[in-house]
Amino acid sequence: MAERSTSGAPAKRSVRRRFSRRKGCRFCADSTLKIDYKEVRNLRYFVTERGKIVPRRISGNCAEHQRKIREAIKRARNIALLPFTAGHSLD
Amino acid sequence: MRTYENIMIVHPDKVGDEYNAIVEKFKGVLSDLNANLLKVDEWGARKLAYPVKKQGRGSYVLTVFEGEPTIIDEFERRLRLDESIIKFQTVQLEKGFVEDDSAAAAEEGQGAEEEE
Repeated sequence: MAERSTSGAPAKRSVRRRFSRRKGCRFCADSTLKIDYKEVRNLRYFVTERGKIVPRRISGNCAEHQRKIREAIKRARNIALLPFTAGHSLD
Repeated sequence: MRTYENIMIVHPDKVGDEYNAIVEKFKGVLSDLNANLLKVDEWGARKLAYPVKKQGRGSYVLTVFEGEPTIIDEFERRLRLDESIIKFQTVQLEKGFVEDDSAAAAEEGQGAEEEE
């Protein structure tokens, strides 16, 4: 039991350290860019290298936009625009 | 009448006229089901994020159309039957499609750059 918790913690901590806490929601305030599953460039900001969705407490999104982002990422993954996990990308 | 957006990935081996034949075929299918096509957009061959049916690449075709909800089952059945379509996804656009059109038309240059 003990080692699982320790092995879990560093991985999580390393992800958090790399991301700075961004103030305010990117989509509410400034940019007019629309959240769309085809716009892979915008979605990349919200996906870690391993292909996981960045949690809201780190990406700083508001709940509504985070839900839109999550839906768009899942749709993009479904049509192979975004990887499910970094492991299987052969290229 | 609802607006739907369908994106499909065509097998990378299907190129040139074979590829066009497939695109024309599905345009025909849509017009048979009396859906009116708003936009057909081909992104061309792109690298897939993960291998699909042992293929690392695929050519994407985006179609936006308006139609009765009932035509979707038939359209997707046809898509499943065709082996050269390795993956597809249909999405309903709640808000109309029009504003994309005008936006795209307005800054065509920006649109083109977005496509690459």
